[in-house]
Amino acid sequence: MNKANDFQQGLGMAMRVGVEMTVATLIGAAMGFALDKYLDTQPWLLLVGVLLGGAAGCLTVYRTVASIPPAEAGDENNRKDEKDI
Amino acid sequence: MAENPLHHFELHPIVHLSVAGVDLSLNKGIFIMWAGLAVTFGLFLLVGKLGLRLVPSKSQSVAEMALLFLRGLVDDFIGKEERKFFPFVAALFFFILSCNMIGLVPGSYTFTSQLVVTGTFAIFIFIMTLFIGFGRHGIRFLGILLPAGIPKMLIPLIIPIEIISMLARPFSLAVRLFANMTAGHTVLAVLFGMTLSLPWYLSVFPFGFTVAINGLELMVAFIQAYIFTTLTCFYIGDVIKMH
Repeated sequence: MNKANDFQQGLGMAMRVGVEMTVATLIGAAMGFALDKYLDTQPWLLLVGVLLGGAAGCLTVYRTVASIPPAEAGDENNRKDEKDI
Repeated sequence: MAENPLHHFELHPIVHLSVAGVDLSLNKGIFIMWAGLAVTFGLFLLVGKLGLRLVPSKSQSVAEMALLFLRGLVDDFIGKEERKFFPFVAALFFFILSCNMIGLVPGSYTFTSQLVVTGTFAIFIFIMTLFIGFGRHGIRFLGILLPAGIPKMLIPLIIPIEIISMLARPFSLAVRLFANMTAGHTVLAVLFGMTLSLPWYLSVFPFGFTVAINGLELMVAFIQAYIFTTLTCFYIGDVIKMH
């Protein structure tokens, strides 16, 4: 739509992505830590948890970013082209 | 005297109440929450009372634009045939928005800066999505943990990752709103503390910044309410459509 709307959506996307990455890593670490405490296997599950959490964060971010329709950018260019002509 | 910039986040009971041993004391945050509810209801009641017309009045067109915008969100993320979620989504948006906005009035309180509040919202939404998912798909809902087209070798790796990313949803929802509100109001408090403690010829600058950041916070209040609602729609849509 218009520029202000694009800016707001972009800002919204940026805020989503940043927090999701951090939180997923923290959740992974917390789950690993809790399982460590429960199974008495410090520190191995914590390490695994951090890695899995990081992977989950990347996956969420990838999905969020992939859900932006690539046609949108193309559309805008096309529209500009049409105006130029 | 330097005031602790986090001091204004503290809540102290105003009215002491205890029902059957459960502490139900009322504090400032709860009154602000009621004010938020009152503002939300009041505005829409006002629009209704003024009379709905085919050629809308100013207040009616604002309300209609906001509601159409939210209906667009529901249509996009959940689906046109699932409009029964629209009242919930609209109520959530206007409640969070009005409470964020009320928090910007000097002297009031931003109760969305309490992790308890945002956490309650987020956990409620998470449990609701679980109920919707199991209600719609039954035991097949667990298939959401297994994206289509995964090689068999990766299954033991991908299931924990999906569980973590699923559990991270309510946390990221809660932390985002809480952190943005807390950070913004802490910055405001620090700047205003500077204004009070500096001599008058210097205090103009932090005071100017306070005004400017209050404007920025207006935008953040709107965007955070928008993101919270969008993500709620997205999570509900995700469990209905199963990716």
